[in-house]
Amino acid sequence: MNSFSGDEPHVSMVRPFLDHRRPLKPAHADDDTVSLTGVRAYAMTGGRAHATVHLEFETMLQATAAGRESLTAMMFERADIIHMARAEPLSVAELSARLQVPIGVVRVVAADLLSEGLLEAFQPSENVADDVLLITRLIAGVRAL
Amino acid sequence: MSVLSETPTRPVATGPIPVKIVVAGGFGVGKTTFVGAISDIKPLTTEAAMTDLSEGVDNRGDVHTKTTTTVAMDFGRVAVDDAIVLYLFGTPGQDRFGFMWNDLIQGALGAVVLVDSRRIEDSFPALDYFESRSVPFVVAVNRFGGQMFHTLDEIREALSISQHVPVVSTDARGRSAVKETVLSLLDVVLNRALAKAKGAPG
Repeated sequence: MNSFSGDEPHVSMVRPFLDHRRPLKPAHADDDTVSLTGVRAYAMTGGRAHATVHLEFETMLQATAAGRESLTAMMFERADIIHMARAEPLSVAELSARLQVPIGVVRVVAADLLSEGLLEAFQPSENVADDVLLITRLIAGVRAL
Repeated sequence: MSVLSETPTRPVATGPIPVKIVVAGGFGVGKTTFVGAISDIKPLTTEAAMTDLSEGVDNRGDVHTKTTTTVAMDFGRVAVDDAIVLYLFGTPGQDRFGFMWNDLIQGALGAVVLVDSRRIEDSFPALDYFESRSVPFVVAVNRFGGQMFHTLDEIREALSISQHVPVVSTDARGRSAVKETVLSLLDVVLNRALAKAKGAPG
């Protein structure tokens, strides 16, 4: 389990710029991974900019039973994502738009929730451009719209 | 039929299958209108914070200038059948957003490049991008509900679009016109997939 279990304070959820013990400016001026404009976007991700599992813009996510059960113990974007995706699968892009959170943040937080079994992902077909069956189905479906 | 029968049977789908296409073009060409004409939902806007490596823009030797830009992107969703969900992403066509397309085009079936016949040069960055990466695309000239200022052949010639790329006329406000445009793209995608399957059996 990660730091979200039990009674541990949610230290990693503190927005860096709300914690006045931390300097606002990056410690190393030449550290190209930190910029002031990027602070808000990654505030909820514990400073990580890259997700462990790659989620496309259109990857659809839905809360698992475990996710719905632990909703009350969650905060911020974690809770928002689980709550928003509790009933029907929604894409990363939709979650980003509806929660008004940048896509990059949804990707990182959702990847964590996935690895904890709190979310389920429906990924796009891997070689979609070669998937004759899928493309044929898509054409029939669009024609029938 | 041989191609279809050789395709391994897909396991019974237990959830949605998302697919996406990209709608690109210059500012004000009607991308969001196009997406909205076919979408089940009112187009949504999302922000993607993108890191720009500024390749070739302000190249100062070995200094890698990295800036974070927030780019707004409109998209819609269509339930195509009981499993397939088609996402249409309208993406800014300006040259400086080219870096964002890499992320967006990953896994996309293809692209519709929307063209305003009065400002065809606005579509150059999108055309260059998709051509150079062999992404299947169609060029759709938005007639804005009215008449066209140039014939499709004139536009094809002006944009130097190769003969295997369809150039179609569309009306971003009309559902059936948008449907036809998407179908013309899917036709290109299907033909390419069939040709590939034929060329590399097994």
